[in-house]
Amino acid sequence: MAETAHDRLVRLLGIVTYLEANGPTEFSVLARHFGVPDSRIRTDIDVLWGSSSDRYDPVLYVDFDSDSFDQDVAKLTKDQGLTQVRLSSREAVALVVSLSSLATAQVAPGIVNQVLSKLRGALSEPVTVIDEAPHVSQEVTPALLDAIRRYRRVTVTYVDAQDRRTTRDVDPHRLVAIDSVAYLECYCWRANDYRTLRLDRIEAVEGDQGSVTSAPSDTAGFALRRRSRATVTLARAGRYAVEVIPGVTIEEQGDDVVAHFDVSDMDWVAGQLLAIAPHLRSVAPGELHDALLAQAQAVAQAQAGQATTAKEPRQG
Amino acid sequence: MTAASPAPRRPPEQRLLSLIIGLSQTRHRMTREQIRDSIEGYEPRPRGGDEAEQAKADAAFERMFERDKASLRDLGIPLETVMDSGFGDEIGYRIRPAESAMPNIELDAAELAIVSLAVDFWTDAALGTDAKHAVTKLSSSAEFGPRVELPFAGRATVSQEAVAALIAATGERQVVRFEYSSASGGTGTRRIEPWRVVFRNGIAYVVGFDLDREQPRIFRAQRIGGLVTPVGEPGAYEVPEDIPLGLLATTGEVHTAVVALRPESGHALRRRGRLTGQSDGWDQVEVDYVHADSLRAEVLALGGGARVVNPADLAESVTAFARAALEVPRG
Repeated sequence: MAETAHDRLVRLLGIVTYLEANGPTEFSVLARHFGVPDSRIRTDIDVLWGSSSDRYDPVLYVDFDSDSFDQDVAKLTKDQGLTQVRLSSREAVALVVSLSSLATAQVAPGIVNQVLSKLRGALSEPVTVIDEAPHVSQEVTPALLDAIRRYRRVTVTYVDAQDRRTTRDVDPHRLVAIDSVAYLECYCWRANDYRTLRLDRIEAVEGDQGSVTSAPSDTAGFALRRRSRATVTLARAGRYAVEVIPGVTIEEQGDDVVAHFDVSDMDWVAGQLLAIAPHLRSVAPGELHDALLAQAQAVAQAQAGQATTAKEPRQG
Repeated sequence: MTAASPAPRRPPEQRLLSLIIGLSQTRHRMTREQIRDSIEGYEPRPRGGDEAEQAKADAAFERMFERDKASLRDLGIPLETVMDSGFGDEIGYRIRPAESAMPNIELDAAELAIVSLAVDFWTDAALGTDAKHAVTKLSSSAEFGPRVELPFAGRATVSQEAVAALIAATGERQVVRFEYSSASGGTGTRRIEPWRVVFRNGIAYVVGFDLDREQPRIFRAQRIGGLVTPVGEPGAYEVPEDIPLGLLATTGEVHTAVVALRPESGHALRRRGRLTGQSDGWDQVEVDYVHADSLRAEVLALGGGARVVNPADLAESVTAFARAALEVPRG
């Protein structure tokens, strides 16, 4: 994306503040600190150099040492009171909300809350954040973070979305909070593939099964292994339940809405749809519709106290 | 540098920097005339031109200055207007350095790395840019050093466009209009005075005064369809000191359900609940819950691995939902 005047202004004020705090600095260091090419820093210094509260008074200009400039070093001699400005309310929200999401998911206990309290102490809090502790076991997160830091393979006991309990050896790579829910990105040696496991479904982390040998996934675990594209029509009242499906697009159709999304796990999606069954108008493709009917049948029979074979527990 | 030298083309950020310096250093205030005269980048009033030329130049200056004021506010700088009765009704401006400067927040390298996670969190371009600016501002005074690699990250998958617009309107105290699908099914246009954006367990709500229902209401941002449109002028209302958070603030009354589980199923319910006995090969578990619809969804998703025993109305609603699903036509 092209740089805007706003982007440049934030960096220009940052350069002045950096030089005030750290003294004369090579262009190349400033470039790496602010994530721009060296040539951009040279232009930035030029822009700062021409800034003044009065165009007719040479004493009032921001000033740099010319000899240093010729040696690619920024040495600020007059800042004219310029300094980095406080966060706008949107910027503060962008930080506080994302960090609160990490805190809610409890992927990084301690340090995230520490940063949040420092930020909140200095900013007038722009939003209210209410968090409730999820059901992540107290031992799971520290054990995984420790294993990730030491590059150790571990055995986890996991209950998947279809309620199947399995034990698997995994190479843990990273913890991610997606919409305030914590996941473990890992390579699973049982599936021989990359997996994203929900932290609140990990019951136990055990052992040290040697060193991690797999590289972290490039797709960062967010990509769904797509099997087919679903189209579900439902009354608007059920909209909230499909809005949380990753990658969903929703269009309005009179009093109904039509949701399109990729399905990697028919049974899981069928379970989600069951929760809004009275609002459903139609479900496609047939495979998903079949899964929905099978689950509904099994629920109705279980609730009536009848035996069913629809859902035999599978052993890991 | 004098006005006589041929003016090279100056980037807008240089004019804004000069404006910041001028407004921060002025003893009292700067009027539009003073700004136009002394800040490099604005065209001074032309000398000797005819009336039409003057008017054209005046209008160009006004447009540029209005844009620049908005740019300063977007940057987070509070711009004060100062009236001075001694000088007629002319408005002056100033920036109070103590209010515009970044407060001193000491963050070490590891803490800055945590703050940087915010940049990758937002999938929404607008908030992603805001997060990037925030990180640059916070790391301005920190000495350059090696990057701290973190074993964790965060990501939002739902669009936050409506949230961003609501936050902006809340800050400006500006009425907004949007299409809303309420939980009870009705969809319609709402006009509200937004008071506060609340995030509860990562879900965004806005609390505000509903102008048509003449009552404070809570809206879930995800149920807003389409754009949030500001209506009227900023500063249109006062936000009350005590904002009623209603159901958002409390977790609600806790009820207990009895759920029968097949062996090796309902692991999450088992972990949360208490095993109380067995019958016909089913394990009986007592589970505490606040929202009946959440527990119903959980039981339904177990696809026959669980049966609600008590309370009766919850058991009936599970059956009703399963029956409803059996009637859904293939699309």
